[in-house]
Amino acid sequence: MILAANLLAPNLGLFVWMLVTFLLLMAVLKRFAWGPITEALDSREKNIQDSMDQARLALEEAKAIQADNTTARRESEASAQALLRAAREDAEKIRGAEVTKTREQIQSLQEQARQEIEREKVSALEALRHEVADLAIDAAEKILHENLDADKQRKIVHDFLGTLSQN
Amino acid sequence: MEPSGLAFLGAGLGAGLVALGAGLGIGRLAGPAMEASARQPEALGEIRTSMIIAAALIEGVALFGLVICIILAFK
Amino acid sequence: MIFRRLQLLFVLMIAIAIVLPTSSAARSMQDHEAAQDAPVSDEREADEHVEEGDHEEEPAKFDAVHHNSDAYYLDFSPMPKLELPRIFVVRRADGEIGVDFFGSTHAAVEAGYVAEIEEGSHGGILDAHIVAGSGKILVDMSISKHLFFAWLSMLIVLGAYLPIAGRYKKGIGRDTAPKGRFHNLLESLVLFVRDDIVRPSIGPKADKYVPYLLTVFLFVVTCNLIGLFPFGATATANIMVTAVLAIMTFIYTMFAGTKDYWKHIFWPPGIPILVKPILIPVEILGLFTKPFALAIRLFANMTAGHLVILSLIGLIFSFADLFGPAVGFGVVPISVAFALFIFLLEILVAIIQAYVFTMLSALFIGMAAVEHEHHEDHGHDAEGSLATVEAGS
Repeated sequence: MILAANLLAPNLGLFVWMLVTFLLLMAVLKRFAWGPITEALDSREKNIQDSMDQARLALEEAKAIQADNTTARRESEASAQALLRAAREDAEKIRGAEVTKTREQIQSLQEQARQEIEREKVSALEALRHEVADLAIDAAEKILHENLDADKQRKIVHDFLGTLSQN
Repeated sequence: MEPSGLAFLGAGLGAGLVALGAGLGIGRLAGPAMEASARQPEALGEIRTSMIIAAALIEGVALFGLVICIILAFK
Repeated sequence: MIFRRLQLLFVLMIAIAIVLPTSSAARSMQDHEAAQDAPVSDEREADEHVEEGDHEEEPAKFDAVHHNSDAYYLDFSPMPKLELPRIFVVRRADGEIGVDFFGSTHAAVEAGYVAEIEEGSHGGILDAHIVAGSGKILVDMSISKHLFFAWLSMLIVLGAYLPIAGRYKKGIGRDTAPKGRFHNLLESLVLFVRDDIVRPSIGPKADKYVPYLLTVFLFVVTCNLIGLFPFGATATANIMVTAVLAIMTFIYTMFAGTKDYWKHIFWPPGIPILVKPILIPVEILGLFTKPFALAIRLFANMTAGHLVILSLIGLIFSFADLFGPAVGFGVVPISVAFALFIFLLEILVAIIQAYVFTMLSALFIGMAAVEHEHHEDHGHDAEGSLATVEAGS
């Protein structure tokens, strides 16, 4: 009985005690510790995974919304530009039309005025001729009253005036 | 020399031989395993597991030898 | 990173773990022979076990093996020893089977049990083999030192994890982050065993075995570490304790075994019929050698470190005995430095052996529980394809 004898001596009592001890430890731990702990760890793992998934989804959603926003903004900008351009073109068109119309009006007014002037001139000439003729007749009558009959004198004056108006 | 002395001698020599054999075996196993894991760090886990299995088998044989030596030392 | 270092150390440890028992055995033999050579005198050797008030015991020699083996008292040298209760299941002289309970070994001896003190032994009643005065002790169910420390480990593990489990139940760690270093440490151990040992080794059915392997890991690591404290003893340095653990693994392996696993053992497919008579006994033997090696490995590793430390310390007294006290004092620094180194190694070994035990248990269970899917490799029959179908479903 030396050396390893003590170390390797079989001991049924200790064996039984250890078996009981270990089974008890395992039963208690399994029931009261590993169950709750692993369950909690799994649920935490799931929670974290879920929140990460959610975060990723939210991020994707946000990105999609952002992209939507960007396109919408671009579209609205483009439409605003188009509107502005259209408005400008319209305005340009209207202005051009207005200018032409005004010019035409001015021209017609000028034309009218010129015609008026012409007419006035003609009537004024006519009146002047009559006046001159009357004056001449008056003058000649006064002269011829003395020495010639009136009809012969008027004929002479008219002939004279006819040569005048052609100049 | 008395017989128990011879038994002790045998136990000691046997234990030494057991250590020698196991050391050689595990050395031959561990060296390439280290090289392999250095070459392929991504396979570290698998290499380690299979190395532990092989080391355990070698060690198991060594332990049998050791037990014989201990029994010899029992007298 | 840590793992790579661990791996390196692991290999180192295995090598050392095998070298240590041998060297320590040789050392102890030296001690023993030295003790045999030296005449028994009062000033001889270190009287580690001598108690001031214990006059009935002879001066004990310094015995590393004895220090490591189981006992029925707690050794608080130089304070008095604390005797543990003795429980005997006895068959009395009249053939009746009964249970005797005593508070201590001395009480048992006073009550009529006989302590068989060996001739030339240095121990007293406490170290003696106890036999019944009349009748026969069937089973010695006494609380021993190692059992006491196993219980202490059990209480430590329970005391650590039951409150933590309570915290999880309350929602700390479930709905919030785990709070506190202690909580985090314990949780990381659980996760380490589950995610790094059990799941990779066993595979899809791993979670069924997590409670057992977690318990084994924590129990073994606590037992191993408790032995490094002053006045502590390593319960796992007892072959009976490791045998219980190994038998548990063996039972789990048996129950985990799939039809495929048994078929590979009793009728290995793809092997020439002439080789089978050789291979089948080897396979059956391998069934038992695995847990056996598991038990011996843990036992040897835990015993060896302590033996080496004690042997190194014992060198002081051996040298003092051989060459005089001056040389003894001179050896002190060297011995203590080496012992310290081995002690630090022991801390590593304590953790690594718990890891190895758990890892190998998981691997054995995993090997048994695995559904082989490589039947195409070795010409199989209908049963094999059936198993494949089962594995696939």
